Amino acid sequence: MKRLVMAISLIVILCIGVYSVVYMQQEVPITYDGSDLDVYELQQNPQDYDISDPDGVADIIVKENLAKTQAVNNVTAIVFDFRGYDTLGESFILLIAITGATVILRRRRDRWEGGK
Amino acid sequence: MNKKWKRDDLIVRSLADSYLPIALVLGFYVILHGNISPGGGFQGGVLAASGVLLLYLGYGFKGVATAVNMERMHKLEAVGAIAYVLFAMLGIFCGYNFCRNVLWDSGEIGDVWSSGTIALMNYSVGFKVLTGVGFLLLLVIALLATGEDEEHSGTITTTEHEELERGKGK
Repeated sequence: MKRLVMAISLIVILCIGVYSVVYMQQEVPITYDGSDLDVYELQQNPQDYDISDPDGVADIIVKENLAKTQAVNNVTAIVFDFRGYDTLGESFILLIAITGATVILRRRRDRWEGGK
Repeated sequence: MNKKWKRDDLIVRSLADSYLPIALVLGFYVILHGNISPGGGFQGGVLAASGVLLLYLGYGFKGVATAVNMERMHKLEAVGAIAYVLFAMLGIFCGYNFCRNVLWDSGEIGDVWSSGTIALMNYSVGFKVLTGVGFLLLLVIALLATGEDEEHSGTITTTEHEELERGKGK
């Protein structure tokens, strides 16, 4: 039974992946391509590079935050949208830390059964 | 030390009674308004989880053990983690990349429901941190707890030294 459920869920995930690959082949998603950033000039003369205005991804985050995410709190928009992978890893680190604490303190958990 | 002296925690208990609703309401407010005000899921979750400590200060180990189910909190934390991944996979279901905000234009700017999956991920992370930190606090409280026979109703054992003193008194 467990193997059947596992196989079915793997097949569903595979179908979703194939569908998304086909969909992305037809319609390329719009991501940042580094059009406004002059990397060569920044590498050669970092002193003369114009830093009065943000450019690159910082330009998008600062200037187009409301137009892109509609979140008033810019930090929340960065944490949950622009850096979503980072927050995912952080929350799993919390899960692992709590699991480690549970393993260390496992003998004391018998008292909770006595308390009920 | 006088052995008949017993700590009367009426003041601590009444303070815990009055501060527990405030802590819970403030925590859930910070979680719910994470996308339109300072704060977010992590901070609000920790604020709401401090209710466990207030409950312990007021009612002792037995009060917490009867009020909170430890195993259920541990399982609900995994539910929060799975909810985050599902909200992040909404982008894949719509044909974009992972963590793509596909519901971003649903709602007005400045409303509680705006900015799409940012708000949903915020709620799931807040739920996850609430249950996770609450479970961690319950584990630490179980270290401080005395045995079944020495359990007073609402008396707080703070240090190991105090526990030894109580053992001598018997």
